[in-house]
Amino acid sequence: MNDQMKIEDYLAQGGVLTNPANVPPRYRAEVMKLMATFVDSELAGAAGFADIINQGPGIKERIAAAKIVLEKTDNADRVLRIMGEFGADTDRYANHHPWTARLGRDADIGASRSDHDMRLAVFNYPLQGWADAVVMNLLMGRAVGVQLAEFSLISYQPLADAFRKIAPIEARHAELAAEGIERLVVSEGAAPLQASVDYWWPRVSASFGSDSSAKFDTLKAMGIRRTANADLRQRWEAETAVILSDLGLKKG
Amino acid sequence: MARFHDLTVTDIKKTIRDAVVVTLRPENGAAADFDFTQGQYLTFRHDFDGEELRRSYSICAGKDDGVLQIGIKRVEGGAFSTWANEDLKIGDRLQAMPPMGGFFTELNSDNANHYLGFAGGSGITPVLSIIKTTLAREPKSSFTLVYANKGVNTIMFREEIEDLKNLYLGRFNVIHVLESDAQEIDLFTGLVTEEKCAQLFEHWIDIDSVDTAFICGPEPMMLGIASALRKAGLDDSQIKFELFASAQPGRLARKVVAKDAAKSANMTSAAITLDGATQTFDMPKDVTILDAALENAMDAPYACKAGVCSTCRCRVLEGEVEMVANHALEDYEVEKGYVLSCQSFPLTDRVIVDFDQ
Repeated sequence: MNDQMKIEDYLAQGGVLTNPANVPPRYRAEVMKLMATFVDSELAGAAGFADIINQGPGIKERIAAAKIVLEKTDNADRVLRIMGEFGADTDRYANHHPWTARLGRDADIGASRSDHDMRLAVFNYPLQGWADAVVMNLLMGRAVGVQLAEFSLISYQPLADAFRKIAPIEARHAELAAEGIERLVVSEGAAPLQASVDYWWPRVSASFGSDSSAKFDTLKAMGIRRTANADLRQRWEAETAVILSDLGLKKG
Repeated sequence: MARFHDLTVTDIKKTIRDAVVVTLRPENGAAADFDFTQGQYLTFRHDFDGEELRRSYSICAGKDDGVLQIGIKRVEGGAFSTWANEDLKIGDRLQAMPPMGGFFTELNSDNANHYLGFAGGSGITPVLSIIKTTLAREPKSSFTLVYANKGVNTIMFREEIEDLKNLYLGRFNVIHVLESDAQEIDLFTGLVTEEKCAQLFEHWIDIDSVDTAFICGPEPMMLGIASALRKAGLDDSQIKFELFASAQPGRLARKVVAKDAAKSANMTSAAITLDGATQTFDMPKDVTILDAALENAMDAPYACKAGVCSTCRCRVLEGEVEMVANHALEDYEVEKGYVLSCQSFPLTDRVIVDFDQ
């Protein structure tokens, strides 16, 4: 059983890698980028949401928000530990950036990242109060759900395992947001919520990345990606539009 | 970051002609750090003529064996495995990081599961650990092992496996598939391919009853088995892989250091390779290698830009750079010429840097 094959061919045929010792350098870099994007987005998302907890209209809402902050931080930790196995200094990493930092509400940054961390662009926009935060959490929560379904099949097994554990937790966050919106529609009316949907919709949509990503084929050959950005975005739009319409809102 | 600990070799014995089982005792109160989970591996480091090599070997002991044991099969041209097979002796000190790896599932004494393991050659080591631990800790579960080898005399742990069959009569089933030695049943001769698995699933293995499958072996074997398992209805969360050491390089060539003193004050000619293509351009010496690559429209990898995460790691093949911060690379990597490109400024008038190594 000494037959060997090139690791690139193995990956292209659907092979799975299991520890940092035998990942090729470029594969290592792409998986690290993906993990950093997830960790930074979770840490930035949790930090932004932490500031909102006390604005929750009742104790149930505050519990839900606190739970979301706790679990997003926990999910960041799961993936950061895998980065640690590749050599990242995890203690320093968790503190290397002020995760609460945000740009202006109208900053025009498209899908570009800031210079200092890898959070998705959408996490650079500030939340404006409780209802706005809940709407953002619903839209982004659904987007994360679509992304995690894709990344749960990634060829780096420890990361695929982590994402499979994280997916149902993140799905619950989007459900909590939908329940929150249901109550807000009654207490505040649909108009302010619709304004938030209109604000967040294009920004969350942009987080799926460019439709014509030249990188995609490379990542696909490495088993890091399977489904094109445009297809993932479409799935999110279709699923989320239905949920919004059930809540008496419409997509942005 | 994981740290290396000292371990003393308390026993070493051959299982087959070119494989040893090494028993280790953690020193300096590190025993708790080596409380492993079945199926995990240890990463060792050892100095060969001034060059540090690191190799990972799976633990073959079960959780209830009360010892820390690894199996090392000699790989042709492999410095570490040859040394372990020929020169290592009782009383020697080794250095290893605490156990790592996720090649296992949670055990629960109430489980009544059917596990299916595939091992190719020395890929048996972690699978053996899983088998021993699972059968001991889940009295209602059963395990089927498909074990592929060249011939009868290359079967690692042959006797231990026979003993386990007797100990767990009715719960542990083994199918030996031999590449070159003929067996009574034709199906058990040859390589374990996708087709062979499909045939095994017809009459020999009740695939519908399988809860989790473990595969450890060379790449083509893992692909074939995984594909057969998926076609038989298992999803990816039910298939656990461990790719063993075949892809680890034997020895790394020493880097060539060309130490030309800086001549022109503040410009460097940089040749940077990424994804197989090399770009050559002039860059200022007060710009990092990473930023220079990005400014020249190269899609160089990075994440934290703070010297913490190591996403931007690259290798300096010629010339010198100064790395102003490093919280991620270890000494042995730096000695081999690896740098964090986000923290590295060129010192010499010419640098050659490779992101593909």
